[in-house]
Amino acid sequence: MDWLIILTIGIPWLGAGLIWLLEERQSRLQHTLAVVFALAAGVAALAMLPSTTEQVELRIKIGSVFGDFTFVPDGLGVFLAVVATVVGSLAVIFSVDYMHGEAQLGRYYSLVLLFIGAMAGLVLADSLLLLFIFWEITALCSYSLISFYNDDPKAVEGGIKALIITQLGGIGLLVGALVIYAYQGDYQISRFLNEPEVLPTNMLSVMAFGCLIAAAAKSAQVPFHTWLPGAMEAPSPISALIHAATMVNAGVYLLARFYPAFEEVDGWTTAVISVGLLSAFLAALMALFATDLKRALAYSTISQLGYMVYAVGTGAIFASQFHLLSHAVFKALLFLSAGAVIHSVGTRDMRQMGGLGKQMPFMRAVFIVGALALAGLPFFNGFWSKELILEDGLHEGPVWAYVGMLAGAGITALYTFRMVWLVFYGERRGSGHIHEAGRLMKLSTGLLAAGTLTTWLLIGVFGEMLENTLIYHHLHVESAPTLLEEIITAPATLLALSVVAAGLLGWWFRAPLAGIAASFKPVGQAATSDFGFEWINRRVTDWTNAGANALRTTQTGSLNWNVFGIIGGLIVVLVILALGA
Amino acid sequence: MSTLTILAGGALALFAVGLYGLLITRNMIKVVVALQILVKAALLALVVAGKASDQINLGQSLAMTVIVADTVVAVIGLALAVQVKRVLGTMDLTELSKLRG
Repeated sequence: MDWLIILTIGIPWLGAGLIWLLEERQSRLQHTLAVVFALAAGVAALAMLPSTTEQVELRIKIGSVFGDFTFVPDGLGVFLAVVATVVGSLAVIFSVDYMHGEAQLGRYYSLVLLFIGAMAGLVLADSLLLLFIFWEITALCSYSLISFYNDDPKAVEGGIKALIITQLGGIGLLVGALVIYAYQGDYQISRFLNEPEVLPTNMLSVMAFGCLIAAAAKSAQVPFHTWLPGAMEAPSPISALIHAATMVNAGVYLLARFYPAFEEVDGWTTAVISVGLLSAFLAALMALFATDLKRALAYSTISQLGYMVYAVGTGAIFASQFHLLSHAVFKALLFLSAGAVIHSVGTRDMRQMGGLGKQMPFMRAVFIVGALALAGLPFFNGFWSKELILEDGLHEGPVWAYVGMLAGAGITALYTFRMVWLVFYGERRGSGHIHEAGRLMKLSTGLLAAGTLTTWLLIGVFGEMLENTLIYHHLHVESAPTLLEEIITAPATLLALSVVAAGLLGWWFRAPLAGIAASFKPVGQAATSDFGFEWINRRVTDWTNAGANALRTTQTGSLNWNVFGIIGGLIVVLVILALGA
Repeated sequence: MSTLTILAGGALALFAVGLYGLLITRNMIKVVVALQILVKAALLALVVAGKASDQINLGQSLAMTVIVADTVVAVIGLALAVQVKRVLGTMDLTELSKLRG
């Protein structure tokens, strides 16, 4: 077991190092090696599935204030490691076609593999400090891959923005780690979950809200969400892997992991529910008015992550993680097939597309599978998980939040249908030659489409795994037939389905409803400008940049000033020692 | 006032002189000289500390080691200064740092 953990993290990192060393002209070898290493990591992660446990399986002694670096392969961690490595492998396979003939493949594949390893480490780590380190590595990979086309100013700006916002959020996590260390003497998450009482109440709430900020920044939740649409400058497989299926889930993972400890903190669950609700609802509206295909998908990711955050807030850990699984599969599918379309058409503007279904029948088929799952139609995987979240929300959560989430589900159906229609149906509005996607693109999207149709069958096994290994969460998950029957027969499902149907009908009868649509124009304008959040986030980024530039003047590079700084530091230390003694 | 106190005070004074030199000088040769004075202060402090803690052997052998390491620093520093003067025509550190990009 312990060597499986090392392999899952180590294989991709080894691959990253090897591919980095290859020369530019060995691009075939780079492609092959990347696929081989990604697949091997996927196999190693899958091999962990049968032996999940809540025990510490790997302990690396670091010593002094760093404590031990421990790994616990419990159900939650292994499941997310599997998602990261398997979706990662599919994204890498897709990249072979997508990135064909691009320059600097070594940098691309190395960063992707580095990311896959770091993500697996993040979810398996049991030391909060180690988790923080992996957390920052994933942020670094995300930043450098968003800015992969580093001669494009928009890509560079998007990368910087993502980096700054997630780093600012990461401070919240660091504070949490230091608080744990201060009161517990080590960073062990499992020990902390066992007895969160070692922290005084006020410190516990500092930590709870620190983690919420970190999670909201990482999972692109309101008010930190605007970096995610900007991150769409990255190549499409990156958007599918990092900005839909894995890294953005780290925030939800963090909240779910610490839920047993933070549950009792005053106002925490309400705050989590509010963040989830706002993100789910506002982002759905923004997706409705987006004209850029990838941006529309990014907003929909924010919205779906909002559903997961909301589910954690209502205590439905299983529902949130189940939706995470469904979402990772169908959103990766949507992003990859959108990437194939964009690759073929050469633009991301949906107004330039239309009628592409005739030239790309395969991509249309898989995209529609993903879209139906996103809209929550039976019996795709998105249907089961979303209904589970809404049902738990109705029973456990406040009613105002439930109504908002339900409305969000309706808007989701509406914007999904609009997206499919604009891209694949109607008349072609752009010009240029369209070619069908490559073989490997079809392979990876085909596999994901098959997953979208079938992953809900795992509901029973998955529930059992979480129930057995997440001992601090005291989960109680029904068996698969009971769960499925419950979802189908619950009145909440009918309600949700009728809202979804209303959304679909809204798009179908958009011509007669044009008058109503016109009255929503101000909403649309507000939505395209991100309801003002974009402005705030841009200010934060600008201030951080300005502050960094101001601090640059302290780097004089002059010996005399450096010696002066050393003496100053020495005096400060001496004064502290004198006062402390 | 015991001999040890006087010697420790001397080490402190040497240290202050070395730091002051590093603080004001811009000439590379003078930087090396100031560094040497600093290291000599540390040497003296080592020997004094050895005597004060009744571990004369330890203090003196540490001092010997530092002398060896310190000679290397002086040699490389001076060689660097000579080469810099020969290639760039100046030994002024401020002038040199203008070369950075």
